[in-house]
Amino acid sequence: MSAERLAPFVLIAPAVLIIVLFRLWPLLLGVNFSFTGDGDRNGAAVGLDNYAELFADPLFRGALRNVGWLVLLLPVAVAIPGMLATFIYLRVPGHRLYRSVYFFPAVLSPVIVGSIFNLLLSFDGPLNSLLDVVGIGPVDWLGDSKVALFTVVGVHVWATFGMALVVFLSGFATLDPALLDAARSDGAALPQVIRHVIIPGLSRTIQFVFVTTMIGMLTSMFGLIYVMTSGGPGGSTYLPEYYIWIQQGQMNRPAFASAASTVLFLVMLVVGLAQVSFLRRTGKED
Amino acid sequence: MLGARMSRWLIAVPMALLALATVYPLVFTANAAMKTRRDYILDRFSLADTLRWDNISTAWTTAGTARYFFNSVLVVAGAVTLLLLFGSMAGFALSHLRFRGSRALLLGCLAALFVPFQVIMVPLVRTMADTGLVDTYPGLILAYTAQFLPFTIYLMTSYYSAIPAEIVDAARIDGNTPYGVYRRIMLPIGRPALLSVGVLNALFCWNDVLIALLMMPSAEHRTLMVGVTSLRGQYTADIPTFASGVLIAAVPVLAVYLFFQRRIADAVTAGSTKG
Repeated sequence: MSAERLAPFVLIAPAVLIIVLFRLWPLLLGVNFSFTGDGDRNGAAVGLDNYAELFADPLFRGALRNVGWLVLLLPVAVAIPGMLATFIYLRVPGHRLYRSVYFFPAVLSPVIVGSIFNLLLSFDGPLNSLLDVVGIGPVDWLGDSKVALFTVVGVHVWATFGMALVVFLSGFATLDPALLDAARSDGAALPQVIRHVIIPGLSRTIQFVFVTTMIGMLTSMFGLIYVMTSGGPGGSTYLPEYYIWIQQGQMNRPAFASAASTVLFLVMLVVGLAQVSFLRRTGKED
Repeated sequence: MLGARMSRWLIAVPMALLALATVYPLVFTANAAMKTRRDYILDRFSLADTLRWDNISTAWTTAGTARYFFNSVLVVAGAVTLLLLFGSMAGFALSHLRFRGSRALLLGCLAALFVPFQVIMVPLVRTMADTGLVDTYPGLILAYTAQFLPFTIYLMTSYYSAIPAEIVDAARIDGNTPYGVYRRIMLPIGRPALLSVGVLNALFCWNDVLIALLMMPSAEHRTLMVGVTSLRGQYTADIPTFASGVLIAAVPVLAVYLFFQRRIADAVTAGSTKG
């Protein structure tokens, strides 16, 4: 009997052990760690010194400013797959094909995507010679500090919009077709159908896509930045995750990096909660 | 009516262009890999005149991609095995066995889902270093398992929750222990979910670069993705060989995508309808 009682705990033990040891414990350790020093002051309590230094560092401030840009670009990154999913749902010619073609970059590693776009976007590369034919450019996609961040974000959107697209399509599957038919027979135009039928009907899906796209932008652009710009030119494409990696891996300042990690965690928490409450509010107005 | 049909075709044009823009970069890379250095510099766009495998074999042997490939396969196989085993065990316990604290455990697991790797990477690497796991295969396998386990448990728990309790009860009356139920009922029934989650986890691990960079500092332990980034420095002037390395890293993913497209999409969306 006691062996029976023990069974659930035995079954769950490996998972719990791994998650606690390698996910939850490091979180506590890291927050704790961020109040200690590096190098000569290794392990000594330094209070808020790391945080003060962090916010004084132009590179980190730049990384936070870039997060601001990402938040501003977020609606675009959500609207593109949303529109495309709408068209696929309304069965534009070739919709079956689009669905599988659009999703395909989403399974490629950021390293592969970044490497390919390094070739395509180099100053004397194919895209610029293509633009030259039309009489535009050349644009220094990755070498101009005003352009590089948007280039990297654009590539990120290219690589991930398929993910949001299938989420939208699965949301459409739960939409009542009768509502659409009713709107159609009332003679509603597409923009009206989108505003009055699709957006309210998909509010949960839209909310989900907003939050996951934001998390994706804040936590899965490392590979692209690492491959495409290494944070440059002039630190203009730093994001917090890249900053943390540089401090940990290159500068060997783990405690300082932990402070940056803690700030990133708080930023994500705030952005996530703000989004959810904002979207809830706008959802209710409809 | 005619107007509506017209506008559909009008929308289809940019969508087709976008589809082209989605596929073309990889076609360009594959084409570049088939060219000689000279051909590539002279004309990047034209189709390679023959299928030339020299660059691929240079990338595979001289550039050391074979070694990186082997490392990746080993680590991904190890991590996916552990993920499916531990994930299904936990999913079964959380969905069908009643025990004290099961709800709290499920919530803890969901909370872990929202702790991004970047936030814990510094202390994690330190813990790994303290236990001698940095720069070892088991270390990276464990790091991947820890990273993707919450998601795996979440999906397996929701899949198993849909299985009626009567099935478990009947098996228990037949004299099965909980372990017997897991082995004889839950593993076979869970096969479709295990396949989807397994494929998705394999993609995640195969594609990762950050965790591998941190956990495997020495060159002979590089995974394929880290190896590709290092190729770039080695072959700046030899784009066809570099493109070949990229292609070698991309082809297994493409093959998996073509076979399991539906499953991957289903697993990705599983979180959205429930969450």
